Amino acid sequence: MKTQEAVFRIFRFNPELSEKPHYQTFQVKIDNRMTVLDALEDIKHEQDATLTFRRSCRSGICGSCAMKINRLAKLACKTRAKTEMDNHGEILVEPMENMSPILRDLTVDMGEFWREIDRGTPWLVWEETLAGTIKENLLTNQQQRVPDTLANCIMCGCCFSDCVSRVFDKNFTGPASLAKIHRFVADPRDEVGEKRVPTLVEMGLWSCTHCYFCWSQCPRDVRPVAAISALRILSFNAGDTNQGARHVRAFMNSVKGTGMLNEARLYLETMRWTMLRDLDLIVKMATRGKAPSLFVRPIPKIEEARSLFQLTRGARQK
Amino acid sequence: MRYAYFPGCVAKSSAPELYNSTAQVALRLGVELVELTAASCCGTGVLNEGDPFLNTVLNARTFAMAEDMNLDIITICSTCQGVMRQDKWRLDNDSNLFAKTNEALAKINTQYKGKVEIKHLLWALVEDYGLAKLEQQVERPLKGSKVAPFYGCYILRPNEVVQFESHENPTSFERLITALGGEPVSYDGKTKCCGFPILFVQRETAFEMSAAYLNNAKQAGADFMVTPCPLCHISLDLYQKKSVKRMKFDFQLPVMHLSQMVGLALGVEPARLGFARHLVSMAPVLRELSR
Repeated sequence: MKTQEAVFRIFRFNPELSEKPHYQTFQVKIDNRMTVLDALEDIKHEQDATLTFRRSCRSGICGSCAMKINRLAKLACKTRAKTEMDNHGEILVEPMENMSPILRDLTVDMGEFWREIDRGTPWLVWEETLAGTIKENLLTNQQQRVPDTLANCIMCGCCFSDCVSRVFDKNFTGPASLAKIHRFVADPRDEVGEKRVPTLVEMGLWSCTHCYFCWSQCPRDVRPVAAISALRILSFNAGDTNQGARHVRAFMNSVKGTGMLNEARLYLETMRWTMLRDLDLIVKMATRGKAPSLFVRPIPKIEEARSLFQLTRGARQK
Repeated sequence: MRYAYFPGCVAKSSAPELYNSTAQVALRLGVELVELTAASCCGTGVLNEGDPFLNTVLNARTFAMAEDMNLDIITICSTCQGVMRQDKWRLDNDSNLFAKTNEALAKINTQYKGKVEIKHLLWALVEDYGLAKLEQQVERPLKGSKVAPFYGCYILRPNEVVQFESHENPTSFERLITALGGEPVSYDGKTKCCGFPILFVQRETAFEMSAAYLNNAKQAGADFMVTPCPLCHISLDLYQKKSVKRMKFDFQLPVMHLSQMVGLALGVEPARLGFARHLVSMAPVLRELSR
């Protein structure tokens, strides 16, 4: 098989020896099949036995070998070394983000991640089990679809590592935690179910920006951002009055009225009195012809859009 | 080149400079933009958190309009592109949703067939028009200006849905900047979130995000930043002073819309590109380029 020299630039840190991390470069002969994990094992066995990283199953199931490969969190065992070389010209390997402290080299303390998972009561609440009246509880295929997809999560931490919101907002519980919560909310056997939703605002339900890193980086196609949207829909449908749900409601009213987004109304209905903080901005926008009008003309054929509103509402109730 | 043009709500209200500069660019390049005036809002990723099916049906109605004209859709807003593309992706991969959507559309006598493409202006310039040809049209090259491309999210991710280029190391924006005579600047954050989607809900977090990436670009030596999304522009330009102040930074970084940068390089009179509407003054950049 064709082989090539690959350049691995690896984050090295041993707090017992030095206060500061550094990067070390290794040359590794790779072939077309080798994963980044294979190459790291090669380095450990043949070049530097002190290189430290987590790994176990080598098949994308255990989630141990999550690390940043060319700046994005990936499972080393699921990432082909050649692809990384082709795309980036080198293979930069670093520990995951959003978790600290770094214990050694590529190994981080994942406590922060686990604490966030725990915040969401990540288990099936089923009092009957405790009462000793266990009975078979069959789910239809349809009922099982969402919990099944979300249960594919292997807790590797890739989504948490690459979550942009979590970098800036430590109260945001993160994509894996919310996906886990939706797994139980969507499970008809869970006795708490949708009653879990009202507490989620405090955990940052509306802090996700839809940057889609969690969708793109999840090695198990869990798509946490879709779970977050699903939870937001429940919050909205429950008539919640938090700023996030209010924003959705204002948006919907705007589109319902004219078919277009009415920026001014959306802003005012979401912000309410807090708009006072932007008065200076509003004045500047007005002087530059950038202040959106409060009155938006309906799109031609608005009746079509309105009838779709009615139709979909009907479809939802069916 | 002829497209069904979906300018999006923001280009028609708080960012008229984007709408106007796009018209100038189309005129110069001989690209025909047939505006979908009866199209509704794409939903910006907010409407679908109230009613995802409604979001899909409204967008499918827009797709059907373009299909009836036998044209692909072009947008000048990453978010419009991304949200519409996600709906198209769901429709094309879920036969139940496809059937249910067309059942709804039948009531207004229209149908989504599945053949429409949705493109961002950036891709149309790079792929359809061609950078070599564009380079020949440049009348006022960016003269080595250091330009920080801000891709943001929707034009790249989810990569499973967008698929124009890898979200890990995108190059289209850099190649465009080079073709216009500018020098693309590399900085951390160019493919991250501008903060806009949470600006009205988690204001402080949004400020911290945009200020961090603006600062990275500034530190990397950027003369100005360019964005393919008017929502990013709100976060990066309108709110720049507030976000930079919150992070106790002290700088200004002008931010252009993609269409404005292209228009400028094509020789469109700066006054017609609406720079005066920006909150962060574009004057230093224009002065430098006119020397």
